[in-house]
Amino acid sequence: MMPQLVTVRVKRPDHRALRIWVPVLPVALVLSPLVVLAVLGAAVACLVFSISLVRALGTGRRIVSALPDTRVDVDYRRTAVLVSIQ
Amino acid sequence: MNEQRKDVLDMLAEDKITAEEAERLLLALERDQPPAASCLELRPKGRAKYLRLEMEFLEDGESGRLNLRVPLQLLRAGVQLVALIPPRALDRANAELVKAGVPIDLTHLKPAQLEALVEHLDETIVEMEAPDGHLRVFCE
Repeated sequence: MMPQLVTVRVKRPDHRALRIWVPVLPVALVLSPLVVLAVLGAAVACLVFSISLVRALGTGRRIVSALPDTRVDVDYRRTAVLVSIQ
Repeated sequence: MNEQRKDVLDMLAEDKITAEEAERLLLALERDQPPAASCLELRPKGRAKYLRLEMEFLEDGESGRLNLRVPLQLLRAGVQLVALIPPRALDRANAELVKAGVPIDLTHLKPAQLEALVEHLDETIVEMEAPDGHLRVFCE
């Protein structure tokens, strides 16, 4: 399953919190020209380093689809950052 | 972190007690607690889905906490990256490892072996306790 939503929450020392929800699909659509360029770059790199392009794309897809449910929560010096991928 | 432990660390951070006193108090708190139920006992039965890392630490009198949850599926996908490392890069990495006194031959790393390693991670629990923090790595 592809990630749907990335939530970023930052709590600052002055107790003000910033919470951002990033819907992955719309952002990916907006950035799709860059995604195409990145894939082309990866294809060239695969050719240069003699790596199977199909295998590389498959691994990339597996990694991206395994990202949901990842959560990183750091709390240090009265600053807290939470990144959650759903 | 339980409340009493946090109070002790707060007092230490505010210089109300010395580090030795804080250590004595923390040890006393640990003695008062019933034997900690291991993560294995707390974990619901069934196949583990996540690798969890919990770390609490004290640095320059300030407490910090790191809580990480990584799906094991992501680790399984990640080990596939080994197959994508160019042989040239592996040779260079091997040379650097030998130079650093760690003679590990990375060309012998096979994704299948790493996947088997990840498969057996769910039985793994690592717990480290130190006066200025603790670290726990487990699967759930």
